[in-house]
Amino acid sequence: MSIRFHRLGKSEEDKAAMSRRMFLMTTTMAGVTTNAMLGGTAFAASDVLTQAQSTSLLRMVQDIYPHPDILQLSHYQAIATTVMNNAEANEDMAKGLTDGLDQIDAKAQELHGVPYVEIEDPDAREGLLRHFQHEGFFQGVRWTAYFGIYDNKDVWPLLGYEGSSAEHGGYIDRGFSDITFVPEGPTLEERLADVQS
Amino acid sequence: MTQFDLNDDSVVVIIGSGAGGGTLANELAQKGIKSVVLEAGKRFDLSDIENDEWAMFQKISWLDKRYSGGGWHGAVNHPTLPAWIVKGYGGSTIHWAGVALLFKDFEFKTRTNYGAIEGANVEDWPIDLEEMTPWYEKAELKMGVTGKTTGMPHLPWNNGFRVLAEGCRRTGRSDYRSGPMAINSVDRDDRPACQQIGFCMQGCAIGAKWSTMYTELPRAEDTGKCEIRTDAMVLKIEHDETGKASAVVYADKDGNQFRQKARVVCVAGNSIESPRMLLNSASSMFPDGLANSSGQVGKNYMNHTTGGVYAVLPEKVHMYRGTSVAGVVGDEVYHDPARGFSGGYYLEFLSLGLPFMAAFLEPGNTGWGRSVTRALEGYDRMSGVWVLGEDLAQERNAITLHDSEVDQHGLPVPIISKTPHNNDYEMTAHMYETTAQIYESVGATDVYELPAYPATHNMGTNRMHADPTKGVVNAYGQSHDIDNLFVSDGSQFTSSAACNPTLTIVALAIRQAEYIAQEMNAQNI
Repeated sequence: MSIRFHRLGKSEEDKAAMSRRMFLMTTTMAGVTTNAMLGGTAFAASDVLTQAQSTSLLRMVQDIYPHPDILQLSHYQAIATTVMNNAEANEDMAKGLTDGLDQIDAKAQELHGVPYVEIEDPDAREGLLRHFQHEGFFQGVRWTAYFGIYDNKDVWPLLGYEGSSAEHGGYIDRGFSDITFVPEGPTLEERLADVQS
Repeated sequence: MTQFDLNDDSVVVIIGSGAGGGTLANELAQKGIKSVVLEAGKRFDLSDIENDEWAMFQKISWLDKRYSGGGWHGAVNHPTLPAWIVKGYGGSTIHWAGVALLFKDFEFKTRTNYGAIEGANVEDWPIDLEEMTPWYEKAELKMGVTGKTTGMPHLPWNNGFRVLAEGCRRTGRSDYRSGPMAINSVDRDDRPACQQIGFCMQGCAIGAKWSTMYTELPRAEDTGKCEIRTDAMVLKIEHDETGKASAVVYADKDGNQFRQKARVVCVAGNSIESPRMLLNSASSMFPDGLANSSGQVGKNYMNHTTGGVYAVLPEKVHMYRGTSVAGVVGDEVYHDPARGFSGGYYLEFLSLGLPFMAAFLEPGNTGWGRSVTRALEGYDRMSGVWVLGEDLAQERNAITLHDSEVDQHGLPVPIISKTPHNNDYEMTAHMYETTAQIYESVGATDVYELPAYPATHNMGTNRMHADPTKGVVNAYGQSHDIDNLFVSDGSQFTSSAACNPTLTIVALAIRQAEYIAQEMNAQNI
């Protein structure tokens, strides 16, 4: 199954998407640079991944769920760290991950003549990763990234989600019906009349 | 709390505590009829409810081993989660959204109205809307359904539904409202009014939504006539030498086995477990499983023709604020073969939280990358619906038993096969187009079409039919083969109709309780 864009015309959104692509490349550089600057700390501490593999992993989680306007590099670093910690605790997972990252680089060399992280076009990087999307290691990274972003209460506000409301008395006094671009719903009197006529 | 002896053969044993089993237990208890309810899951109460999609999924879902089969996308994308139902005290009434629609008259008589459809197994119910109307009204009063029967107003409209409703108005529709919902819009029946919390399907944290968890079940227990045993997984229904159901064998959470004797046995374990139990209870007298002389046990599995549609609007919507299913559009519920399919469908506004939206926008291995993240960046501007329409019975859509794999109780793992009929493809295309037009009329920039979620509406696998060769149970849910064996859940549905099944399950259970009482008094069972 795939997402079907319904009658999506060329719009401002597409132009916006162009600028997002440009921003993504900036983030790529930021990822590499920051990681290089961290040197022997966060990622090099991994017993499982080489420096190059750690850099690939960080790039990979960014390419799986790219939100360059919304998320910070630190969000992705936290996910990559979770993946590495999981791998350190599980030999099979570690082997799957390191083999997988090596395969991604080999495929990148084959298709683009450079390592994965040096592919500048985000479409090309995503296309490269699509070759591996049915592999266990890939889905392991993907679902770790999923939970690290979309089931992460610290990230929710950045994507416009407020989550739990029962402890605040629900949304009944907190904007459940506050939009102004469509008409209001029927009043209590109208709703009563609808069922008591 | 009342306890009945395992050897007490005067009790009705009810398997399952959801809409069917929970209602039946309370109805019988109020009539003074003793029952033992065997619930496979844990005992839950309101303190277990959290506003957290995945936490509640993990806590309440039926996650025992099951396989998806057939040609629907879930066989690939949800291979071990064919259905999204609850294991616990209250069953799937914890998870249901509260939509309390009733069948249309034509939907009870689908064979008559649609004719024979190639590849489908469409039949008429032995009951009709006129027969069911008083029972529907009892169900609405019991559950507290907004609308004319109770006089309780429908809920106030939330943002997401207001967008949908305006689209309906602009496209010339007229049948859209914020009900009927079994959610209190005013304090009623010792339960509070809805506070627009959202998270209805994670369990209502304040009990504004009807659930057997805090209505039928504790009320049944309070009579002293009903004992509810949780963590009691039924392994087998036994019968005596005359072929009457005589006892139910179950296992507790530590695997200890018990045999509860019974005067009457009522199966209400939802449309996967109910036929599975009957099949697992095969004996030398009933080699194909109990109540299965028709061969229809486990067949005709229906779960509605469904999908999701989410539109991105030009401004913020915050659809998650408020009731999860905040409104229903009924304009498309009619039968007109000129549309290219039989039966009709509803559009129901349905909010998903961000976690579920990110998981179900594009389920499966491919749901990542820039198309997904771009869509999710519009999350706070989305409104959307769950489209659900009539699913035609097909014999090939079935619950079968795995021939080698067993679950933690040693029971063969169920395989749930679902292959859409051409009718489903035609209807789904119509649903998607209709919904897109509605949202485009209010300025939607993107419209995302989501494939079916693992089904919460599971129906038809022990179906009702006047003819014992074509169905498992009669018009009262009593099995054609065994007089004291009843089916009390949605598996007795002959057709799925377009509407959510719970109100009909409850109405049938109230009616069945009356019938069981009458037959017990007459010493017929």
